[in-house]
Amino acid sequence: MGGVYLDWAATAPPDPDILTQADAVALGVYANPSSLHGAGREAGSLLEESRKRLARVLGCQAGEVIFTSGGTEANNMVLFSALGQAKGKKIILSGIEHSSAYQPAEALLRLGYEVKTIRAANNGAVDPAAVEKELDEDTILVALMLVNNETGAIQPVAEVARRMRSFEEKTGKRIHLHTDAVQALGKIPLDLYALAADSASFSAHKIGGPRGIGALYLRKGSAPRFLYCGGGQEGGRRPGTENLPGAFGFALAAERRAANLSQESAAADRLLRVLISELRSLKPGSVIPQGRSGAEGEPFSPYILCAAFPPLPGEVLVRIMAEEGYWISTGSACSSRQRKRERRRGLEQMGVPEATAQAAVRISLGWATGPQELDGFLTALKRRLAGLKGIFP
Amino acid sequence: MRELFLCKYGELSLKGENRGSFERRLCLDIRKKLKGLDLEVERKWGRLFVSAGVDQAERVARGLASTFGLVSFALALKTDKNIDRIEEAALGLAGSLLGRGAGSRFKIEGRRTDKSFPLTSYQIACRLGDALRAKFPELKVDLEHADWILTVEIREAAYLYGPSQPAPGGLPLGSSGKGLLLLSGGIDSPVAGYLMAKRGLKIDAVHFSTPPFTSEQSLEKVKRLLTLLSRFLTEINLYVVAFTETQLKIKAGARSEHLTLLMRACMVRIAALIARRSRAGCLVSGESLGQVASQTAESIRFTGSLSDLPLFRPLIGMDKEEIVVLARRIGTFETSILPYEDCCTLFAPAHPQVKPDFERMTRAYRSLELDGLLAQAAASAQSFRFPAEF
Repeated sequence: MGGVYLDWAATAPPDPDILTQADAVALGVYANPSSLHGAGREAGSLLEESRKRLARVLGCQAGEVIFTSGGTEANNMVLFSALGQAKGKKIILSGIEHSSAYQPAEALLRLGYEVKTIRAANNGAVDPAAVEKELDEDTILVALMLVNNETGAIQPVAEVARRMRSFEEKTGKRIHLHTDAVQALGKIPLDLYALAADSASFSAHKIGGPRGIGALYLRKGSAPRFLYCGGGQEGGRRPGTENLPGAFGFALAAERRAANLSQESAAADRLLRVLISELRSLKPGSVIPQGRSGAEGEPFSPYILCAAFPPLPGEVLVRIMAEEGYWISTGSACSSRQRKRERRRGLEQMGVPEATAQAAVRISLGWATGPQELDGFLTALKRRLAGLKGIFP
Repeated sequence: MRELFLCKYGELSLKGENRGSFERRLCLDIRKKLKGLDLEVERKWGRLFVSAGVDQAERVARGLASTFGLVSFALALKTDKNIDRIEEAALGLAGSLLGRGAGSRFKIEGRRTDKSFPLTSYQIACRLGDALRAKFPELKVDLEHADWILTVEIREAAYLYGPSQPAPGGLPLGSSGKGLLLLSGGIDSPVAGYLMAKRGLKIDAVHFSTPPFTSEQSLEKVKRLLTLLSRFLTEINLYVVAFTETQLKIKAGARSEHLTLLMRACMVRIAALIARRSRAGCLVSGESLGQVASQTAESIRFTGSLSDLPLFRPLIGMDKEEIVVLARRIGTFETSILPYEDCCTLFAPAHPQVKPDFERMTRAYRSLELDGLLAQAAASAQSFRFPAEF
């Protein structure tokens, strides 16, 4: 495509050999994994092998992995499972959730559920105490993402889980904790049991695997009632003929990322720290959240950076950088009103002023991003911003 | 085998000595619109007869339905002045009308200019009415509330035609000269272009593009709008002006509340320069009084002041709802509301001036010394051509 790709959080370029292997499975092991004949059994056992291998990377049991079409479906399944039970009507979620969790919650609100949205603090993270304060007898579900897709801020999911469990002990009430871990898998160390969430969603195309495949981790013993009915696949929880090549490719990609995680994330961290310091010196306050300094140990993904140069709209900066051959994305877009509001929602929920949110762009790196690419990006950015001096106050 | 269309003029028929030139414009427009078709266009008895191959009839009908200067047209049959032939033709025409779902109540209208024809108009009507009812028993004659009327005219030959379809009326394209339309991509300007074209103005368009502040899609949207308008406007030249440099210079040198007015005035000036080049005698814009701050009487006085060409604003007295109704009717509304903005928020002042002082605005414009830049922007405009598309 002839440009420098800095939009890895949207989707990662697929690892060619993984796609080739997934293709070979699609062509060679085409039988329906649910069929009883030999070819079906072969497909079925490859599917289970894929599940096992993915589970090993996730640090859970194979039986706890449900293949889905991606992160959006996994989030939708869990949120809408609220409709399948009668224990209560209150849902708590952070205001910075991905729209695939946030909008189902909005739909539930319209259906009469009580939905409590927790804003993030201005460091981009949700305060566990704020979640704890909202827990009550009527609460059935808490959703908090693990890594925010706009800012890269890591959320205190384990701490929220700890507080929920102690609330449960006091009240005898059981509340489901869901975490959207799409931007975490393969990017930051992940320990599902330590997180103590009841469910987590994942997607393959963010880590070099194929499109159209994701997974929902569902802790053993946690049994939300999903709304799908059909062929009984995936334990009846996500029926539909299984995407075997996808599942196989997903497992391969997850294994590869896990094997390289410490090395890849350390490299990304070095790059991002330089980028942060350059952007901050170019224009103080341009990094979002403003407290993000690039200091070691800050709770952020090393792959995602949010920045803004108000009043330059994010969409315009995206086009300017595209002209220079660098592909980044917006935190907001000058598009239809509804979409504009939805795009800005996450940042506004962490206290970013509207004008800054509208100017936000996301620069996201991947394992193949090199220092010379970011140097080039910075040089081009500085030159173009200097050329636009007239528009800055 | 050919199909014949009988087309009726509206206002055109009231013209005096120069009626011929209007008619010639009309024929020219139809030929251009339907270029590539095997078309015969004939002027007779204050009407236009257009014939084309049967397989092209549908395109011809679509073309006529969007031709300014016509008020209506109908599929017609021409036959010998022999009552048996005429009856045969009437049965065929009625059959095809019924096949397309026409109702069962009908009426025959006879007209006889050739008095040597042996049957009177009344006798013709009776004879054909009987024949139709004999062939199609479900049919009923209803002179008061007919679903459709079949007209028979006995002239140098016999002409039969069924119910007519509406055409947009107005004056033939080009009969009022040429105008340059300032086209933003919103709802209003395409409607303004349509309305002025209806009064006989051939339309070219100018669009001001401000990359990277506006997206490639907003230019694509303008092109799409012109493709949609081309069926009425027949052939449109679009001039795309790179306006970013001017916009930035204004932004850097002017007061924030003057931004919109200065930009609009510069657009009008550039448009006037392009109009001269493309031999357009006037400008057209989609302004509607009071719709936004730059469309008050005071604002319009300034924004139109940098051009000596007449600037037509056909929507000036219309409400938005009325404009939307028209936009829907001409088919541009859905494209106009696509979310690609024609001006970046960066250049839209938070508090624009509603009643600007004319002298002060003129001084502000002069102090920016933009004349050279505007001339250069006009000279380097890119042009695109949109032939009629159905």
